[in-house]
Amino acid sequence: MAGRTRTTKKLAQRIDLHYFKRMYPIPRWKRLLTILAAGLSVAWLGWASLTGKQSAFNAGPLAKGHTILTNNCSSCHVAADFGTKITETACLSCHDAPIHQAKQSFTPACTTCHIEHQGAFQLAATSEASCTQCHGNLTAHIASFNSGHPDFAAVRPGHAPDPGTIKLSHQVHLKSDLKGPNGPVQLVCANCHGVSAAAPTYAEHCASCHPLVFDSKFSEPAPHQDTKTVHDFVVKNQANIAQSIEAAERLLWQKTCKECHTLTYPAPGERPEIPKSAITVRWMTHSEFDHNAHQLVACTECHAQAKTSNRTEDVLLPGIATCQKCHNGSKYSAEVRCSECHLYHDRTKMKPALSVHAIADFAR
Amino acid sequence: MRIDRTHRPWLVGTVTAFLAITIAYTVYALRTPGGPRGGTIVGLTFGVAGYAVMLFEGLLGVRKKVPIWRLGRAQTWMRGHLWLGILTLPLILFHAGFAFRGPLTAILMALLVIVVASGLLGAILQHYLPRTLTKRVPMETIYEEIPHVRAQLRDEAEQLVTTLAVEAEHDDKLRFRESYERSIRPFLNAPETAASPIFESLRRATPAAFHPALDDLENICIEEHQLSRQRRLYHWLHAWLLVHVPLSVALLVLGGIHAVMALRY
Repeated sequence: MAGRTRTTKKLAQRIDLHYFKRMYPIPRWKRLLTILAAGLSVAWLGWASLTGKQSAFNAGPLAKGHTILTNNCSSCHVAADFGTKITETACLSCHDAPIHQAKQSFTPACTTCHIEHQGAFQLAATSEASCTQCHGNLTAHIASFNSGHPDFAAVRPGHAPDPGTIKLSHQVHLKSDLKGPNGPVQLVCANCHGVSAAAPTYAEHCASCHPLVFDSKFSEPAPHQDTKTVHDFVVKNQANIAQSIEAAERLLWQKTCKECHTLTYPAPGERPEIPKSAITVRWMTHSEFDHNAHQLVACTECHAQAKTSNRTEDVLLPGIATCQKCHNGSKYSAEVRCSECHLYHDRTKMKPALSVHAIADFAR
Repeated sequence: MRIDRTHRPWLVGTVTAFLAITIAYTVYALRTPGGPRGGTIVGLTFGVAGYAVMLFEGLLGVRKKVPIWRLGRAQTWMRGHLWLGILTLPLILFHAGFAFRGPLTAILMALLVIVVASGLLGAILQHYLPRTLTKRVPMETIYEEIPHVRAQLRDEAEQLVTTLAVEAEHDDKLRFRESYERSIRPFLNAPETAASPIFESLRRATPAAFHPALDDLENICIEEHQLSRQRRLYHWLHAWLLVHVPLSVALLVLGGIHAVMALRY
């Protein structure tokens, strides 16, 4: 036997010259899958369009407050010359956005600072860059809340004392076994301050322990009002007792009122003048602080001075170092952006919004 | 396509372009209030550039359909497809600011990652496998001809056994034929699943007069074995296209719709 040979001629002869006219598995599957992929893509978005599921085209989830607008793009995307755009009118139809301040160099578009389609975070929480686009000079010495930010004005060295006129020792008020209306009490901060920013009032927070009973011969306490009203009260009740008006009043002014107020006499023998309490409700006039959001921390953790303060002049506001313990910019720290404390829109100038939307616009 | 030294200019160009767009993105990301996103001028520029590169990538398929048109060398197209294709991923990530966000954009990003990854896998396979194919399949034929050639090999083997002109005992001829039917024919019919015949033992079991015929049958089996290997290697060499091409088309379609909707809204 000559043996098997593989000459070029033999190899050429065994080729089927029509092979390229047939479709083989891999090219066939490639074509089928390509048609299928293109078809599925068009079908998905076509179906979404036909059924009004605009969320399919959504550039990203809306902020929590705007979630209801997910299937109603035109609420914000208003028809324009080419396609649509977000107009200020669309935002302002629901939100009034008062200006920052009268001298602001320019007014950015809402969407410059409030970036939508980024998920369920707070839309009002704007980036540092939103602020520094105007306040760029701050970045020269303030790198962040934790680096270069000055301490709060009210607690900086040389700051003015508390302008309050009520003689108050926080230390005394935080002692145990204080004499209360129904026996010994242990006061806590919230007994006088609550969780609101409002100033404590005599009637609500002081009267139960400090009634204006200055003489046991008087059947009821003196009113906590202007000195004229108090004088009238003494005159009216003096008729029932054998004591001069002057003596009764002297006892009242010198014993009871003076315990908390500093009295000044315009002239000898005249009624004293009592200055306004001048309790500072808001120490940080350029920023916001929400006590509600900080309730998980004991009051004295931040206002540690309250436990030892004996003078009204003491400013019990904590310094920035206290804030920086939690707002430190680390991965799991509390927020440190400018907008956390400093507001852009002047809310005192806020007007009611005049929305044009109906419930049907959103109930899809 | 073999990735050798001749690719160096493409490599340098791609790395340079990557560094340039990375620097541009870093500056843009640091200076943009609210962070980088697709809707800003710079973000849109990245998106347009990314989609333009994708369209160019897709044109390779068109280029292959019209090989005789003077549209530049196929090799240049292929190199452009490979190296520019790599840039689509950073361009689109920079366009999106590294966020997946909505359903359409998330799917687009997933498709892009799969397409680029499958393309890179394909490039690696196409770099190494052709050499392996040349080395391990010297009897290589046109892939599409494999079934046709295999049928011819089977016929050749059958004819060899049927028309065996050997002076030998009738019993020996019968035994030889029986051996062929038991171990050689099953292998020729299904080389992927049947065991390879052991020709050394067959030679020992048959008279020397049959050995030339056995040599031819062994040669046929070797060719069959190689064609089987060629088929397997070819599948490795091309199966990734079953992922790469359909998803690329889906990416282009959905990307186009995304571009229109994004510009409209």
